[in-house]
Amino acid sequence: MSDKLPVMKRLERRDVDILVSYDNDQNFIITYDDIRYSCPCAKCSPQRNNDESSKYLRREVESIAAEKPKVKTVGKYAISFEWTSGCSSGIYRFERIWSLANKEDPDNGRGYVHGVW
Amino acid sequence: MAESPVSIHNSDSDDSEDPNPSPQQQKQMEQAYAQMKRKMSVQEISRKIKHKIMVLSGKGGVGKSTVSTGLALSLAQRGHSVGILDIDITGPNVPKMMGLDGHRLHVEEGRIHPAQGHLGVKVISMAFLLEDEDTPVVWRGPIKLGAIQQFIGDVEWGELDYLVIDFPPGTSDEPLTVAQSLPDIDGMVIVTTPQEVALLDSRKSINFSESLKVPVLGVVENMSGYTIRGTAMANTELVIAGPGGKSHKVTSDGDGNFSVTLDIFKKGGGKSTAEEFEVPFLGALPFDPGFVRGGDDGVHRIVSDPDGESAIAFSKVVDSILEQISESPGDSLEII
Repeated sequence: MSDKLPVMKRLERRDVDILVSYDNDQNFIITYDDIRYSCPCAKCSPQRNNDESSKYLRREVESIAAEKPKVKTVGKYAISFEWTSGCSSGIYRFERIWSLANKEDPDNGRGYVHGVW
Repeated sequence: MAESPVSIHNSDSDDSEDPNPSPQQQKQMEQAYAQMKRKMSVQEISRKIKHKIMVLSGKGGVGKSTVSTGLALSLAQRGHSVGILDIDITGPNVPKMMGLDGHRLHVEEGRIHPAQGHLGVKVISMAFLLEDEDTPVVWRGPIKLGAIQQFIGDVEWGELDYLVIDFPPGTSDEPLTVAQSLPDIDGMVIVTTPQEVALLDSRKSINFSESLKVPVLGVVENMSGYTIRGTAMANTELVIAGPGGKSHKVTSDGDGNFSVTLDIFKKGGGKSTAEEFEVPFLGALPFDPGFVRGGDDGVHRIVSDPDGESAIAFSKVVDSILEQISESPGDSLEII
């Protein structure tokens, strides 16, 4: 998947969303609410597993005042968002950002399962 | 240590304070000077070392030192100049694995000079300070952290392509001290074994990286599978009794050779953890008794069998790490 993924060249932080530009000249807008809601960390992910907790997470995220986060690259594979409030733990792979940009489910329908091995 | 340049002189100014500092003040000034000097030295060292990689595990006994030395040797095999800093103060195993058992620390003009192990890999370890290998190091926090800072700031590494830093297990003071003292660390490699208890702890390590502000380069699954090989009648179906009463069917080839890989500690847990936390999976390393023998004999498996299964597995892990720390899309990403 990552082989075919366009390379993100620019990320502009705006008041309530980010504008991301890729090397194939495509541009996308992703709201901060969507970014926060899709946080891949071990605390936020399980909350998207069922409808009730998922709605609760969405409400919680939307109740946070809009702010521009600090954005950093993580190794070669991801970016992270640092907010002054709410969860800043998630490492967002470029694949996840691409899914969000294309309004796709970044979890690919995969429920978070903690320790089943 | 060089003489402090802090000199005492009588000023003509009308400063009402006593211009002659007390011995205690003089000592404080000298300490401040030593700290400043070490800080400058750390910056210089950091500039000379192109890449710094931390190797951590949440749990002991997962083969972290084996992985650290393996990564260092695998990088050295490719012609890179490599160093290992063994920060595991309570159980420093790296010298033994690198054929440097019994080596003493070499200090010249206040600078610590690393020992050279297999393939020219430079090694600094707390073991070099021990009177004998049976002496336990019982140091409280501040002494331990002082020793680590000295190992970071006072070592004459020279120019290095890679410095691999081996830590004690867990999420303790040591990685925190190194992450705060040594600038521009590329990231951390989390070592785990496939079983649940190790995986739970490796998740802690991944979350720990967030506190340290050091990116996770990925997860390595060690002791991933044990391959047994044998001979039988040609083209014969055999049944091998594996762990947990699980039977493995295998058919010998035309020459009578067969091999089967047994998942002694389960399989795939490291990959699942990596997927769960959305960090890269760097690869799986086989369960290889040769590492135990090599560790005891002081000849690392990668040195004794450079084309063997384990060396190849290490090489793949190194490929994955280099992919993470090479020029990346992240480097060219403009964030505004």
